[in-house]
Amino acid sequence: MAGFADLNLPQGLDKKSLQSLLEAAAHLGYSAVALNHVVDFKEKKQEIVKPVSPSELFPSLPIVQGTSKRIKVLTRLTLIVSDPSHCNLLRSTSANIRLYDIIAVFPKTEKLFHIACTTLDVDLVCINVTEKLPFYFRRPPVNMAIDRGIYFELLYTHAIKDSTMRRYTISNAISLMQICKGKNIVISSAAERPLELRGPYDVANLGLLFGLSESEAKAAVSTNCRATMLHGETRKSACGVVYTVKKPRKVEEEEATLPACKKAKTQA
Amino acid sequence: MARAEPPAATFERRVLRSAAEHHYLRVRLELPDGGARPSVAQFKQLVVSALRELHGEVGAALPVDVLIYEEKTLSAILRVISSGLVKLWSALTLLGFYQNRRCAFRVLQTSPFLLALSGNSRELVLD
Repeated sequence: MAGFADLNLPQGLDKKSLQSLLEAAAHLGYSAVALNHVVDFKEKKQEIVKPVSPSELFPSLPIVQGTSKRIKVLTRLTLIVSDPSHCNLLRSTSANIRLYDIIAVFPKTEKLFHIACTTLDVDLVCINVTEKLPFYFRRPPVNMAIDRGIYFELLYTHAIKDSTMRRYTISNAISLMQICKGKNIVISSAAERPLELRGPYDVANLGLLFGLSESEAKAAVSTNCRATMLHGETRKSACGVVYTVKKPRKVEEEEATLPACKKAKTQA
Repeated sequence: MARAEPPAATFERRVLRSAAEHHYLRVRLELPDGGARPSVAQFKQLVVSALRELHGEVGAALPVDVLIYEEKTLSAILRVISSGLVKLWSALTLLGFYQNRRCAFRVLQTSPFLLALSGNSRELVLD
């Protein structure tokens, strides 16, 4: 079973509040989080810096509740694109971009949404939740994105902060669900304070409000997040990623003892 | 014409629908340090206002009971009819402010059986 993950914690905070945010996430049961670095091309002099390494920032990561493992911290880059020329950066093999674990784009227009879904080499497409959708989702790019294994990201913190944004969040989410039918959705927080974070089961329940089914809602905080991370990992390798897990030896021992038992019966 | 006897059924179909009338939630309210703590009445008021904020008057009319409320730890057990569980839970999730200060509801456990809330396996310490 894939553990729960929250793929959007803002990176621009100071170290102390980030630490408390990580502790809150671990306490709520998230086994992986991603630190988000946002680059908005509208503002001048935005350059893509190298990702801060989480192990440098935090010498000891908090332990996830209910497990004995430490929380996994990834790095993520979000590019806010409002002009087609901004996409060139993603196509060029920029050294700094390759260092991030997950790459997301926030398309501002329908044309850019189409480009992001069909051609760009990204893992996540952010959906605007703070204002009325500037365009309608169309089926071809969304289906193409689902085929390519790109996920759509919805944020819920804005819905907690403000009732107008809550309305936009839910309405934009529902209009997306009509097109993608609940597939390839990731729900993450973008929380700046521990009190804005919600537990993974709460978020899954929130997914029901967005029009997902129960299994899709749970996948939106667990398996889809894992798929996104693996999709990001394939970018660094030549063609794919394979994980192997060592099989526990205990099963073999049981099999070995079973025939012996049978033998004893026939003799008697 | 004699009808051939149907072969003895090797399986039978049973449909079990969750007949539980209510669901129970164990929740904890998280407030920043030094804030005013709600009393029982204020707590119930907070839950109803959260429901009204998200689901309107229909949500506010949802039968929700506060079975236990502990002011010291700010934890409570709520009872809600099963059809309203998603509404109540989402309303609690999206509640962000209590008296203009930030707050958060943590839903610790939910179950159709009250007895299940007597213990929590997630609070056990792993070796």
